[in-house]
Amino acid sequence: MVKKITIEKISELVAVLMEKGTLLAPVKEVSGHNFAQISDPQKVDLNFYNTIMSPKNAFFPHKEDFVKYKIGKSLAEAEATVLNLKPTFLFGVRPCDVKSFEIMDIHFNAAGIVDPYWRARREATTIFGYAYDLSVPLDSADFYNTLGIYAADPEGSDIFMVKKDKELLLKGITPKGEKLLGELSSLARVSSADENYFEEYIKRGKEYKTRFTCVDAQAIARKLETIFDNVDFWTKMSSACLSCGICTFVCPTCYCFDICDDTMFGKGTRSRVWDACMFTDFTLEASGHNPRTQVYQRLRQKISHKYSYHIRKYGVISCVGCGRCTRHCPVNIDIYSIVEAALKA
Amino acid sequence: MSFEPKILGIACNWCTYTGADLAGTTRLKYPQNLRVVRVMCSSRINPSFIFRAFQLGADGVLIGGCHPGDCHYNTGNLYARRRLATTKKILEFAGLEPGRLRVEWISASEGNKFAEVVEEFTTQIKNLGPQTKLKIPQ
Amino acid sequence: MTDFKKIEENLKKESKRLLEAGDVTVVLAYGKGFDESHPMPYAAKAVADVENIVFNEYCNYNMARYLVRYPQGTKIAIAVKAADSRAVIVLIQEEKVKRENLVILGIPVQGMKNPKTGEIIDSKTTCGMYNPVLYDLLLGEEVHGSKSASPYEVLMEYEKMDKDARWEFWKKELDKCIRCYACRKACPMCYCDPCFIDQSKPKWADKAPQSPGNMMYHLTRFQHLAGRCIDCGECSRACPVGIPLYLFHKKVAKECEEMFKQQAGMSIEDKPVLVDFRVEDSDKILE
Repeated sequence: MVKKITIEKISELVAVLMEKGTLLAPVKEVSGHNFAQISDPQKVDLNFYNTIMSPKNAFFPHKEDFVKYKIGKSLAEAEATVLNLKPTFLFGVRPCDVKSFEIMDIHFNAAGIVDPYWRARREATTIFGYAYDLSVPLDSADFYNTLGIYAADPEGSDIFMVKKDKELLLKGITPKGEKLLGELSSLARVSSADENYFEEYIKRGKEYKTRFTCVDAQAIARKLETIFDNVDFWTKMSSACLSCGICTFVCPTCYCFDICDDTMFGKGTRSRVWDACMFTDFTLEASGHNPRTQVYQRLRQKISHKYSYHIRKYGVISCVGCGRCTRHCPVNIDIYSIVEAALKA
Repeated sequence: MSFEPKILGIACNWCTYTGADLAGTTRLKYPQNLRVVRVMCSSRINPSFIFRAFQLGADGVLIGGCHPGDCHYNTGNLYARRRLATTKKILEFAGLEPGRLRVEWISASEGNKFAEVVEEFTTQIKNLGPQTKLKIPQ
Repeated sequence: MTDFKKIEENLKKESKRLLEAGDVTVVLAYGKGFDESHPMPYAAKAVADVENIVFNEYCNYNMARYLVRYPQGTKIAIAVKAADSRAVIVLIQEEKVKRENLVILGIPVQGMKNPKTGEIIDSKTTCGMYNPVLYDLLLGEEVHGSKSASPYEVLMEYEKMDKDARWEFWKKELDKCIRCYACRKACPMCYCDPCFIDQSKPKWADKAPQSPGNMMYHLTRFQHLAGRCIDCGECSRACPVGIPLYLFHKKVAKECEEMFKQQAGMSIEDKPVLVDFRVEDSDKILE
């Protein structure tokens, strides 16, 4: 079914969702928009292009505590974290970001490799996907068409939302989404004209072209393998790179992490925090040896992992073309253009 | 029960620590709140020690070194004076109460001064109350 | 008004000349990015690379941060604006690079812009100077006329704040930090390997993007840059969550200038204030 709400009245829908469980939605911050847990319905702001940080935080928090322990006590007394999850709603996720969850599932939710916390969060969450606004010019950093994703793809969302002038149309895509939409009685039913508009919008989304066209994953994987030893190429590509960590942290499909034990005053926590292969000490070994001391080696690793090794191992590129890496890079490196340059080299 | 502050004291081996010993041998009374750590020279002090001390719950930090010009290593305390002055300004701009970090020059013969400074500083910290801003909640 | 096109022409001309003559093996300048308002730092190594060099009002990068990547002894030409030239001076003072190995191409400029906001960059967020302090060649006309406001004027509002309000302000700002370390990497003076925050023995802070680790990281960084920060503002522009780091660095710079009567990065004859002392330094600075 398809329902609708006027965008001005969005805080009403927000309030209902807050009542039902935990709501994560975009809010406006100093530098842009970000997903946050909502406690004030007025704060939700759908007037954005895309958030700074990707929504991967909803399933893969920046810091996640696993075990609490006390010094001097036995291992058996350590407490593993128990997640007491309320139904969670992830509201306003762009199609490329929705696709990223599928890719991340390979690492956290696949047969044999299951992160129980990731899985629990995935199962408890209803995703409200949100089509890009086709009347707004494309941001020059996006390139999701390259990965076969379009501006209004509903796949992966439980409920998909499309803007129609001053209204928001919502359609149930999965049984979970349909069920929830049925429960949201404050939302109005739509006319058949609205339903047609919705379907047309999805079709029109396919015409909305980002830069770079669809790509042959196997060709990229192969070329990056052959160009591995070309130090001149990689040095040139990385000459501006600061080797910070922004591209990794904003990326929806980057998943490197570090496990830390933080002990103080006789008790401690084992937790997982985000790490980045771009950090200087990422491959620092206990012996003191570091195989990747140079920036070009780390940048080569990042690009090769996402656009070559990942394809070899899992069959998909570890990228959804959301453009965040380029948009937030402090030195404006256009990351996908490095892949293009490799293909031409 | 009134507030008993935890005060970290970092004392240079040649002057302040010896001065503190003198206060002890001459049986001078001073508050028990000071926990003393000995370093060889006041310039050993990394400002991160001070930030860390406040994070770990110190209500005050008292640093003692030789008088400028009398450093056992000639110039150590001259660097320390500049460095600790900037640390004070940093903590103040961050919003920490300025009286919580104090630097004093106390020589080996100034047992009296040591006891007086500790007495004064402890009272000052008692008046400022527990340090909650940087302290890591337990 | 600064003639950006003329400066770009001169920059390309000089770079070509230096590379052709073999006077330098690399020119650190600015190059084309994915669009006009997003140029990139650029290292030209061959004469053919020179045609990719650009200069416009968005070329805010402090190229001095790339100097330490090259082996000591490399002959480098570097394009610098006012604050960038001060960064080069600090690196010379700290012996990370030798004066004789550098050809400093000074760019006097007024009217640099922040691509994220479109605003003119001035003394509110940087040192506010127009003309490079140290250079071998000037690529444009020196900017004369009224200096923009004092770089410390923006601090007045914060200095007047009650300390508890100021603490709340900094706690709120620093809690936004996601520990990406872009500030550290953007800074020309943060060249330590390993950086204190990466060390596990001792472990100064945990890795989580929240206090107390955030507070420890930033307070320590403000301390490590005391007397060395030249107020280029790159750290704050690099920050993806918009923390006004420049405010704190300016405050520390102001205090160092008042206490030690010296500004960072103004003369290669100076020593940075915290690796120097005067016997007559006053004890008043400790009050």
